[in-house]
Amino acid sequence: MSDLTLSFDHVSFTYRGDWLQRIHALTDVTLAVPRGSSFGYLGANGAGKSTSIKLLVGLLQGHRGAISLFGAPLGDPRLRQRLGYLPEQPYFYDNLRVGEYLAYLGRLSGLDGPALAAGCDRVARLLDLGELLGRKLRSFSKGMRQRFGLAQAMVHQPDLLILDEPFSGLDPLWRARFKEVMDLERRRGATLFFSSHILSDVEDLCDHYAVIDHGTVLEQGRLAELLGQAPLRLTARGPRAVGATDGDDGAWTLTFPEQDRERVLASLPAGAAILRLERQRIALEDYFVARIKAFHGAGRKLAEGAGVER
Amino acid sequence: MVIAGATFRESLRSRTFAGLLVIYAVAVALSRAVGWISATDGDIVTTDVVFSLQSVIGVLVAVATGTALMHTEILQKTLYTVLSRPLPRWRFVVGKFLGLAGALAVGQLAMLAIGLGYLWATGAPVQRWLLLAGMLTLVEVLVMAAVSLCWTALSTPLLAAVLGLATYALGHAVATLPELMHHLSGPQQYVACALASLVPNLGMFTYRNQAVYGTPLPLGDLLQSLVYGAAWIALLVAITIAMFRRKQL
Repeated sequence: MSDLTLSFDHVSFTYRGDWLQRIHALTDVTLAVPRGSSFGYLGANGAGKSTSIKLLVGLLQGHRGAISLFGAPLGDPRLRQRLGYLPEQPYFYDNLRVGEYLAYLGRLSGLDGPALAAGCDRVARLLDLGELLGRKLRSFSKGMRQRFGLAQAMVHQPDLLILDEPFSGLDPLWRARFKEVMDLERRRGATLFFSSHILSDVEDLCDHYAVIDHGTVLEQGRLAELLGQAPLRLTARGPRAVGATDGDDGAWTLTFPEQDRERVLASLPAGAAILRLERQRIALEDYFVARIKAFHGAGRKLAEGAGVER
Repeated sequence: MVIAGATFRESLRSRTFAGLLVIYAVAVALSRAVGWISATDGDIVTTDVVFSLQSVIGVLVAVATGTALMHTEILQKTLYTVLSRPLPRWRFVVGKFLGLAGALAVGQLAMLAIGLGYLWATGAPVQRWLLLAGMLTLVEVLVMAAVSLCWTALSTPLLAAVLGLATYALGHAVATLPELMHHLSGPQQYVACALASLVPNLGMFTYRNQAVYGTPLPLGDLLQSLVYGAAWIALLVAITIAMFRRKQL
């Protein structure tokens, strides 16, 4: 069995615009999503996130390169039985009731009989839809539609959950609940692949990430490794080291990269008392902005200032 | 059939559908007035108006819903959660058409019941041939639904609606082609026949004028009309599938 749930191997995709216009949405994208991981796909609007996802779920066709799902080449519609998909800002038929709709989509994913009833019951409980099963979706607010959207993606207990901006339109309480539900899905064994603009949510949820911009993947890897690249900050009292800045209560601080740790500690002035040595927290949002600006050659100074330029 | 079932329920519950049935009922109630002011037999004129209304309103509903069906799915992205499941696109198109056909059939049967009920209540003669006329109108409506679905796959919804209604007009004009043939020379006849074969001959389903006068419909003619209608529906749905399979969503 493949260790990857999903992989893109040098995938490119071009939209047809008006007349002879061609829009290159993805250029030579290579991605590897390990089985059981929670993969955050980060990018600004129009970066190529939704195009990648649409290729995955079969809404777009005609890419170059290879996409594999569960170790098999994309193409056989039966592979989609094992994935659940929540589109960005999902729309649903107005005149179907929640219970009917869940059963309808569950049947399309191959459920029937007791398994279908159990699947619908499970997601209704997880997302508090039980009392809404008889209501038509026409009367739903944006947040309620998002809840239904996640429910329909999970109803058949897929091995891969693809969520396009899952936290859009949710209040803080439901964002927290979504995270709990997604955590439950992971513990069940599902792989999560999601895009989000709310980077604090990505930080909370994902263990792997990729950054895409203008159809090109800038980098990807484990989030822990990225966060491990954060600089160290030393807080001390007494004689000041070269380059130190004033801190609180007469203390001073010095920030330096991990690889300089031994050299900096060895060169501290005699009599300097170390109060703390800690790793600075990288705010993923700052990192994300800096990384993209650096890629385009703008804001390089800002990126270097954040200490995360590679 | 899962897609067809959901489409059927969604279509039947739409306000447009119920609204057009109400309009039909009101128009039928007013048809008696046309009978009163007519110089000929009032009952025959009323019956003719009732059945013409069934055809016209049925076709309008078929064109409106047929053109909106796929476009709304694409525009509102409701098909995203459907086509991301293990479902080939051809099954989606066939399911949508069958669901729409089911809803249109219910609408046509409701109109037929309202129309015949009204004629019976007002004392107009209700002959069994009228039932056959109603059934052939249903086939005509289903052909027009397939025409609209096909035009939507090839163009924009507004243009598809216009082209759908144009096809309806041409389809009835084609029915009069044999009468015009003797006015045309050899090559013109070939061109006229070739052009006529591009649209369904809707005259094959227009039996209401004869039914009003109690003229029997031979079984052979009925079967020919049904097979002709089924063949056109199959062809149009196949074209729609071919176009939709390549559509980028």
